[in-house]
Amino acid sequence: MKKNWLIDRRTCLRGLGASLALPLLESMGWAEQPKSKGFKPPVRLGFMYMPHGVIMDQFWPKSPDTFLSEPPPALESLRSVLHQCLMLKGISGVPISPLNGAPHALELSTWLTATLPDASRRSIVNIAISADQIAANYIGGLTELPSLELATMPQTHKENQEGLNEAYYSHCSFRSPTQPVPAETNPRNVFNRLFKDKQGGQPAGNARTSIKADKLDRGMLDLVLGGAKDLRRNLGAHDQRKLDEYLDSVRSVERRIAAVELRQKEAALEAAGVSVARRNDSDSPPIEIKIPEGDRRSEYMKIMCDLTVLSFQTDTTRVSTYIGSTPNGVSYPELGFTDQHHSVTHHNNQADKVDKVAKITEFNVSQFAYMIQRMQSLTEGEGMLLDNCIMLWGSGLEDGNKHSRENLPFLIAGRGGGSIQTGRFVPGVSANQGDLLGTLLTCAGIPLDRQIGIGTKLISEIRSA
Amino acid sequence: MVTSSLTTSAPVNPAAAPPSPRLLGRAGKSLLSALWLWLALVGYPAVAASASASSSASSSGSEADSEFIAAQAHAKKTFQEKIVPFVSTYCSECHGDKKQKGGMTFRSALKNPGGSAFRRQWKQSVATLKAHDMPPDDAQKHPSEEEAQTFIDWVSNMKYLSPKDPGTFVIRRLNRMEYANTLHDLLGVQPEVAFDLPEEVLGAGYLNSLSPLLMEQYLVITNEALSLALAPEEAPPNALQKELFGPTPAAGTNARDAARVAARSLARKAFRRPASESELAVLMNVFDLAIADQRSYFGALRMVLKAALVSPQFLFITPAVEPELGKAIMPVDDYQLACRLSYLIWATMPDPELAALADGGKLNNPEVLNAQVKRLLSDQRSRALFDGFGAQWLGLDKLAGKAFDTVKFPQMTQPMRSAMYDEARLLFDEIVRNNGSVLQFVDCDFTFLNNTLAQVYGLGTEVAGPEMRRVALSNPNRGGVLGMPGVLATTSFPDRTSPVNRGVWVLEQILGEHVPPAPPNVPSLEKQDKKKIANLSLRQRTEMHRTNAVCANCHKILDPIGFGLENFDAIGRWRDADENGTAIDATGELPGRKAFSSPKELKTIIAGRADDLSRNIAEKLLAYALCRQLEGYDDVVLDGMTEQIAKDGYRMQTLITQVVTSYPFRHRRVRELEGASK
Repeated sequence: MKKNWLIDRRTCLRGLGASLALPLLESMGWAEQPKSKGFKPPVRLGFMYMPHGVIMDQFWPKSPDTFLSEPPPALESLRSVLHQCLMLKGISGVPISPLNGAPHALELSTWLTATLPDASRRSIVNIAISADQIAANYIGGLTELPSLELATMPQTHKENQEGLNEAYYSHCSFRSPTQPVPAETNPRNVFNRLFKDKQGGQPAGNARTSIKADKLDRGMLDLVLGGAKDLRRNLGAHDQRKLDEYLDSVRSVERRIAAVELRQKEAALEAAGVSVARRNDSDSPPIEIKIPEGDRRSEYMKIMCDLTVLSFQTDTTRVSTYIGSTPNGVSYPELGFTDQHHSVTHHNNQADKVDKVAKITEFNVSQFAYMIQRMQSLTEGEGMLLDNCIMLWGSGLEDGNKHSRENLPFLIAGRGGGSIQTGRFVPGVSANQGDLLGTLLTCAGIPLDRQIGIGTKLISEIRSA
Repeated sequence: MVTSSLTTSAPVNPAAAPPSPRLLGRAGKSLLSALWLWLALVGYPAVAASASASSSASSSGSEADSEFIAAQAHAKKTFQEKIVPFVSTYCSECHGDKKQKGGMTFRSALKNPGGSAFRRQWKQSVATLKAHDMPPDDAQKHPSEEEAQTFIDWVSNMKYLSPKDPGTFVIRRLNRMEYANTLHDLLGVQPEVAFDLPEEVLGAGYLNSLSPLLMEQYLVITNEALSLALAPEEAPPNALQKELFGPTPAAGTNARDAARVAARSLARKAFRRPASESELAVLMNVFDLAIADQRSYFGALRMVLKAALVSPQFLFITPAVEPELGKAIMPVDDYQLACRLSYLIWATMPDPELAALADGGKLNNPEVLNAQVKRLLSDQRSRALFDGFGAQWLGLDKLAGKAFDTVKFPQMTQPMRSAMYDEARLLFDEIVRNNGSVLQFVDCDFTFLNNTLAQVYGLGTEVAGPEMRRVALSNPNRGGVLGMPGVLATTSFPDRTSPVNRGVWVLEQILGEHVPPAPPNVPSLEKQDKKKIANLSLRQRTEMHRTNAVCANCHKILDPIGFGLENFDAIGRWRDADENGTAIDATGELPGRKAFSSPKELKTIIAGRADDLSRNIAEKLLAYALCRQLEGYDDVVLDGMTEQIAKDGYRMQTLITQVVTSYPFRHRRVRELEGASK
């Protein structure tokens, strides 16, 4: 039988199909939890990616003792929140043999799967469900959106290293082994999709309207879904699998409509003077989103980070993945040079190129730092939003020059609701990427019924005593 | 139904395959006999099953099939007697059961040599052998040149080991452009209504997956398109509604019956095939639901239309005919064929003429199909073939977003980039519409320019105004894609040319060769001591590749092509000297002692490889049309296509017609062949 990551029956939404029930959603929202002293805000999980590795001696701290006082150059932008960060050295990546010729197609696609794609049938996507989607399956049912996937560049890079399907190059989230999750690249669409009628009803810019709460639409989709099941019976086996993606997606849209209905019902109640506030009085008000004009990468990435912060702050989703940059020859004119990221990472220790790679890394880390600092500035419950987050920044290569993957650069920020002991640098961890992902999910309260990819254990160094 | 020799195009390459009457090879003396027996038991029945599965094909088809079976038997014999010993002698020590250096082993490929997964592995082995990458210098045994050459010839016959198979053709989701155009054709809305959908890789790398985000966007876009196209719910129906929904039912008549007629007609358009009774029932349930929700007659039909537009039958190209029990391979039905054709050439739904032919069951007639190809190509909408296929083939889809050094190349504005793109598009269009030879892509004496782009050509004083127009070229170094600024710019770095990239581009995109990736840990050019290279030209630095034996094998072919184009700078302007003032040396030699000293002469040499060029375009277009990478049997199909294309003077419309009438384009596999043989 189909193995399922959904362990808790109450959260098993994917399989429910048509039988959507608002009370179910309501009863599961944390808003409904008693607001007593013991109340704990939920843990959110965020991932942010940069390709091509780092300049090691500029990224890794010199020693655990000087981590906070003398952070390495690459982490300068994080200085004010380093006490909320944890660094582990010694996390190895997925060995990529026999796909040795595809380091860049694999760095992103293995990042959250810790799994090598199926090498016997390379032209189709067949890898593994990714850690963010495992989390979305478990805690995604509790929020309006199961997970948020963002990217800076369109996911259309056409290079099939080692004959691997192009999608491996630009995707890191996989809903199933064969179903990559596309990411949103337009901040206006993201905003309208998530918050349009939460923030004064003004759509940002001229982007289209978002999904509407419409009972008739929901009924119509139900009927269409039934018809699709009829169609499914008449199709060949391959077609049936393709149609399952459709069925799954329609169910998810039905849920979204139900969630929007709920949101509007609450708004109406609130307007009528009945408080259904999801928030504590002490919580910071939702941050304001201003979408900038122009095409500066830093501003673009900041707005994506803001959107992540806002969606966590408003508990619109608890899982987010942001592909800050993709391994496809991106350049950073804003930094004063047009060299492509990939070309400069093959620097052969030549000083000017090393310097450029370092600048690109600092740039990417500083976007992450911006997001972390925002989270640290917002009160939630008895602490800060960041206290309830687990944010992972990293790359799927250690050294882009040699394509090595023995000590992948990872940065963890946030205390995960108290499950993570931050403010430390722990060298000499002996673990792999699967172990790391599995441990972080466990810290977020997600029980796993098996390891993630090549993982074999939990990393005890991460957890608070 | 299927009535012609078009069904199969598998003529046997006479040099490669003297047909042998024996279908099964003799069991060998070595341990290979077990393997061979396995092949005989598993491999052959699969072929037989597939042959019988497509037995609806005509008699001339089965004649070609018997040739194929004979070629297959021969290939099996060659495999056993020649390839297996070659691999055992020269490869297995490092890439066998015990060792798997570089993660590479022939173990599985030897067990199932025709398996689609191994097409790539065999091609890769040929490429590395050709490049003398393998066996490595320190190997104990090396094949002689002659042995290596025969191995390469044998491997080209491996395609016959694959069963006759059109490949999986999974129901395909309309891509972003197709979806947008189809909404436009149905509702008259501008395609931009759908442009918030994520961009996608088209063709062989098409993902064809659906996600919740996408589904949500479909619903939002559908709402928006309907509110743009239809009158508000309370208002009287507009012209489009009258056309789509029919008249208001007269008082006293049964509105539901009228709605049923309307729903049937809507579904025929939106699903691009007739709806089944159960599909119609679903739409009528939606109608009833809306009526129960107090909607007006037209309001309820609007809901029916919305349901149709978010149905899988609209979002995907679905077959009209269910798979037959026991059949693994079926011909594509006429409705699906109309869709495949229309979406390939126009990126939109079949127009009324094509739809009528499908309704009449006429499309499987090859003459009708050929005439339709011509008709579609002559229509303006066929520019979609360039935007989807041509731009990707030439790499020009990357041009708009590519970074250039703005100090060195301030000319690379968006208008310049669009002009470069349009130049290639118009050349493609010219060749397609005039049914010209594909050789014109490499060598022709005209192009399309506007004032902006003419500056790059040094013709700024001769071409005025922003509109693109045909310009005769007197400079033989120009004309064709090798000297085309858009191509030269996309194959350059942001600040300088890359002879290597250009060489790879010509080999892979124009000649269809397989260039192995650079081995890991190869020092790149810049590693060279700065002082030592300060006075060297880029050419001299690039030539240092050849001082390293590992690099030399590939670069001796790649680099000369790139050098031959060095007279063109990183955005395609002519130059006689590089940035440092060193004169450009565009001389070079390609294998076979083919020497050249200018882009013009290089072009002539490349254009001389007409068979490779046309096969490459056919191969890329076939993969694009099928939305998948090509596999074993596709090579047999390509052989036949290439032969027909050459016979007809390498004409572009012939090439496109060959793709559209090919076996995999007109058939679909509905279940695994192995399953059928059990």
